[in-house]
Amino acid sequence: MIRRLIWSQKPTRSLGGDLAVLLFIAAGAAFSSLPLVYVVCNAFKPMNELFVYPPQFFVRNPTLDNFLDLFVLMSESWIPFSRYVLNTVVITLMGTAGHVILASMAAYALSKHRFVGSKLLFSLVILSLMFARQVTAIPNYLIVSRLGWVDTYWAIILPAWAMSLGLFLMKQFMDAMIHDSLLEAARIEGASEWALFWHVVMPNVRPGWLTLIILSFQALWGETHGQYIYSEQLKTLPYALDQVIAGGIARAGVGAAVGVMVMIVPIIVFVVNQSKVIDTMGASGIK
Amino acid sequence: MNALRRRVRGLTPALKRRTRRLTFPLKRRSRGLTLAQQKAMTGYLFSAPFILGFIFFFLAPFLQAIAFSLNNLVIVAGGYELVYNGWENFRYALFVDAEFVRVFVETLVKMVVEVPSIIFFSFFSALLLNQRFRGRLLARIIFFLPVVMTSGVILTMETGDYMSQLLEQTNTSAASVLVGPLLYSFLMQLKMPREILVYVITVVEHIPEVIRASGIQILIFLAGLQSIPTALYEASRVEGASAWQTFWMITMPMMSPIVLANVVYSIIDSFLSPANALVMYIRDTAFAGAGFGIGTAMGVMYFAAVTIVLAIVVWIVSRWVFYQE
Repeated sequence: MIRRLIWSQKPTRSLGGDLAVLLFIAAGAAFSSLPLVYVVCNAFKPMNELFVYPPQFFVRNPTLDNFLDLFVLMSESWIPFSRYVLNTVVITLMGTAGHVILASMAAYALSKHRFVGSKLLFSLVILSLMFARQVTAIPNYLIVSRLGWVDTYWAIILPAWAMSLGLFLMKQFMDAMIHDSLLEAARIEGASEWALFWHVVMPNVRPGWLTLIILSFQALWGETHGQYIYSEQLKTLPYALDQVIAGGIARAGVGAAVGVMVMIVPIIVFVVNQSKVIDTMGASGIK
Repeated sequence: MNALRRRVRGLTPALKRRTRRLTFPLKRRSRGLTLAQQKAMTGYLFSAPFILGFIFFFLAPFLQAIAFSLNNLVIVAGGYELVYNGWENFRYALFVDAEFVRVFVETLVKMVVEVPSIIFFSFFSALLLNQRFRGRLLARIIFFLPVVMTSGVILTMETGDYMSQLLEQTNTSAASVLVGPLLYSFLMQLKMPREILVYVITVVEHIPEVIRASGIQILIFLAGLQSIPTALYEASRVEGASAWQTFWMITMPMMSPIVLANVVYSIIDSFLSPANALVMYIRDTAFAGAGFGIGTAMGVMYFAAVTIVLAIVVWIVSRWVFYQE
């Protein structure tokens, strides 16, 4: 009876095993969600509860004041607030889409084609994974500025396309999951390289690129990109929210509200994304 | 095989026509090339856009950073000038700077403790989260939350300090309340050598950090588990393999490249996270301290150390990795 409640499919292990698994998941979940619960609680705390000593974990008298304050602050901004949202959405969507497609294409070439320099290229990509942003920050800026892209969306979007993490991840997925005989069979059937990539390789590593979408989205969404963009009308949402909470300790509650607002979108993207991943298992591979 | 044939045939007729139009003239034109050369050409074509961007935004800054580390950066009217001073920056970082070497060693040690525990924890969690139980999506969301919390705006916000203090506070208190006293009294009774005891306690104290650092690794492992063709599992079931055998004969070999990917990712993540003590130190040196030249020299040394660690780890792990042919 209990097992019926737990498993949506036929169970394969003892009841004790089930409980151990659930306990482990619950413990991990507790650790993972505590900070978030705390921030969400803070966002609903009235001023007097925020600064009470000793600090309280849960909210006693929830209030929407922090969110209302945030909206008031937003509506007073010089540029319409929707413009910041639009900027961030454009940058995030274009950056993510380009990165996923270009990185997958390159990964396909590096994983399934042998050409002069392919090994060297891949080693360079791994090396570049390790170089701290702080160190390349200035040369990177110089290059963007020489290309004349400072103060445009491109200053953020194009470097995002070339992030090496995606290439590395997709190559590992293709190495692991694509059997060469699958490609050969498709070639014999007359598929072009592009059709091969798009209709054979990509569907087989679908969980891989869905994950990459989350990673890339997450990285682009939260960044302020303050160093590349100066025009107020091109600035991003995190930048604007940054300014809202720069008001000091009096904005602590608003700060928590901002945190909640910024985190909601990646969580929604994650939920939609994962619900697409779930049943790809039966759909792919060689029979 | 049949499923594949169906898939290729299933491409819409229009697309098939397009493919043919694309392939045939191309073949006629490139009669001079061998098959291997043709394949190499497609290889170049497919990787070209990415490689181009890569050279511009990663390779060029990287080489320039190395140049910076060998020079003194002087601000002059209308820009900057580089004054060559050889290994002076490196000498300063290693022998004059008071903190660098200590922070450097501490960071390396912390990585050695954390990365294996992250890999084990996230692989185990992914295996559990991949099973079919009710509320699975919710459980996955919860394990993903730390990723949302610890990256991007939350960290870069000016209130970053305020927030991270709160996070620190909740985590340490949770750890000490949930496991602390019980575990310590238990360990005391075991009468183990002091060194092992210290290691176990360090690991336990790092549990919240490990869990928070595992979000992306769990995701990558999950994606890997879901990419394994079900046919392999069906075949092994038909052959009468037990769950234990299936895990070691199917899941582990198929996942081994993903494990390698995650090991590399975790090392890099722990080395480059903005919360890393050494990264913060390098940033302060470069932008607010002894100068950009010395900061990049530290960065280059750090990079070299990471490269060596990574090369050793990748060499060890990849002897065991199984690749599809």
